[in-house]
Amino acid sequence: MEGLVGVVIGETRIAMREDEDRRATELRLVRQAQAGDLVAFERLYRENERKVFGLCFRLSSDPALAEELTQEVFVRAWRKLSSFRGESAFSSWLYPLTVNVALSERRSRRRRDARIVATEDPASLERAPRSPAPEAGFDLEKAMAALPPGARAVFVLHDVEGRTHEEIARLLGLAPGTSKAQLHRARRLLREALAS
Amino acid sequence: MTCQELDLRLDDWLDGALTGDAAREVESHLAGCAACRERERELRQLLAHAAALPRSLAPSRDLWPEIAERTSGGWSSWLVWGAHGFQPVALAAAAAVVLGLAALVFTRLAPERVRTVTMPAASPSATTFVAGGSAADPVLAQAEREYEEAAKALLEALQRHRGLLPAEDLARVESNLQVIDRALAEVREALVKDPANPELNRMLVATHRKKVDVLRRVVRLSTAL
Repeated sequence: MEGLVGVVIGETRIAMREDEDRRATELRLVRQAQAGDLVAFERLYRENERKVFGLCFRLSSDPALAEELTQEVFVRAWRKLSSFRGESAFSSWLYPLTVNVALSERRSRRRRDARIVATEDPASLERAPRSPAPEAGFDLEKAMAALPPGARAVFVLHDVEGRTHEEIARLLGLAPGTSKAQLHRARRLLREALAS
Repeated sequence: MTCQELDLRLDDWLDGALTGDAAREVESHLAGCAACRERERELRQLLAHAAALPRSLAPSRDLWPEIAERTSGGWSSWLVWGAHGFQPVALAAAAAVVLGLAALVFTRLAPERVRTVTMPAASPSATTFVAGGSAADPVLAQAEREYEEAAKALLEALQRHRGLLPAEDLARVESNLQVIDRALAEVREALVKDPANPELNRMLVATHRKKVDVLRRVVRLSTAL
């Protein structure tokens, strides 16, 4: 038993050291990027692009728009980089920026898109990025896309991204109770889709 | 506890936010109510689906070149999709990407402007694509022309492949494009009255982009068939 505990402790130490190395590398890249090094910023982009795109896609339900939003997030990140002090991971710093860009753009487009794509959603003509579904027969991504935007945002942040209601309330500028109500609504609608 | 009350508390219970008597009340109700147990099962299944979704997804293309251009002070870097309202944006970059894509796949068009292009439609009514170029800003006007050329190139490609697409899909595309063209006409009309309006400029670009997106998707779909 002691041997097993020793192995676990050893592996934990290695993992912690790797984390520290990763943080140190990331911080060095941030400092270089803050000094204007675009190559360093590209490495930060490559490290974070998929998470940012994943979140943008789930919040917008539009792969083409999600690509533009991802670009916008990194352009704004570059401009705001001087405000990053390295007290948290770069990805943590990027998170609220991503949510803000994705949702503010969605709000500003809502009225226009309702008019432009009045008949059919052109995105339906091509396959959206698909997640490996744990079970066939229920496309959660598709069902999420059909949710009202507010309910979708809360569901994505809570049940996919694992954020708490308090964090969501801060990110979205809501009361925690509103976040709970939106989650309840989203889950009910998705449960109905799952059952049908 | 009624089934309705359980419905209101089930989320909190599953999220581990209920403790003590409140949790026991939910558990007691579930033990005696088959309908609510089924609701709980469905909800657990949904949460398992959601938790299994990968949080990282790959975009369909490399997004870095445009980010690099906008961050490195390239010629279009001043065209920013910014927080301070529209400054003729990503427009140039987006147009460049679209044109790059079109140039890769399709033959480059002759330079002359075409005022109208008609796609032989699957349905009896033909769709007419009206070219514009109404922007007062010369950079914006140039980008609008580039969008129009990209749309024209994609439209020609679509015409070449249209036999491969189901008639109903072509009809949907036609219908979408008609809506987009009407929106373009509306925005241009508004721009004539208020050429400096940043929101109108932004809408013009977004509408062009939407049109090119629709065409690009349907061409990609037709070539994949």
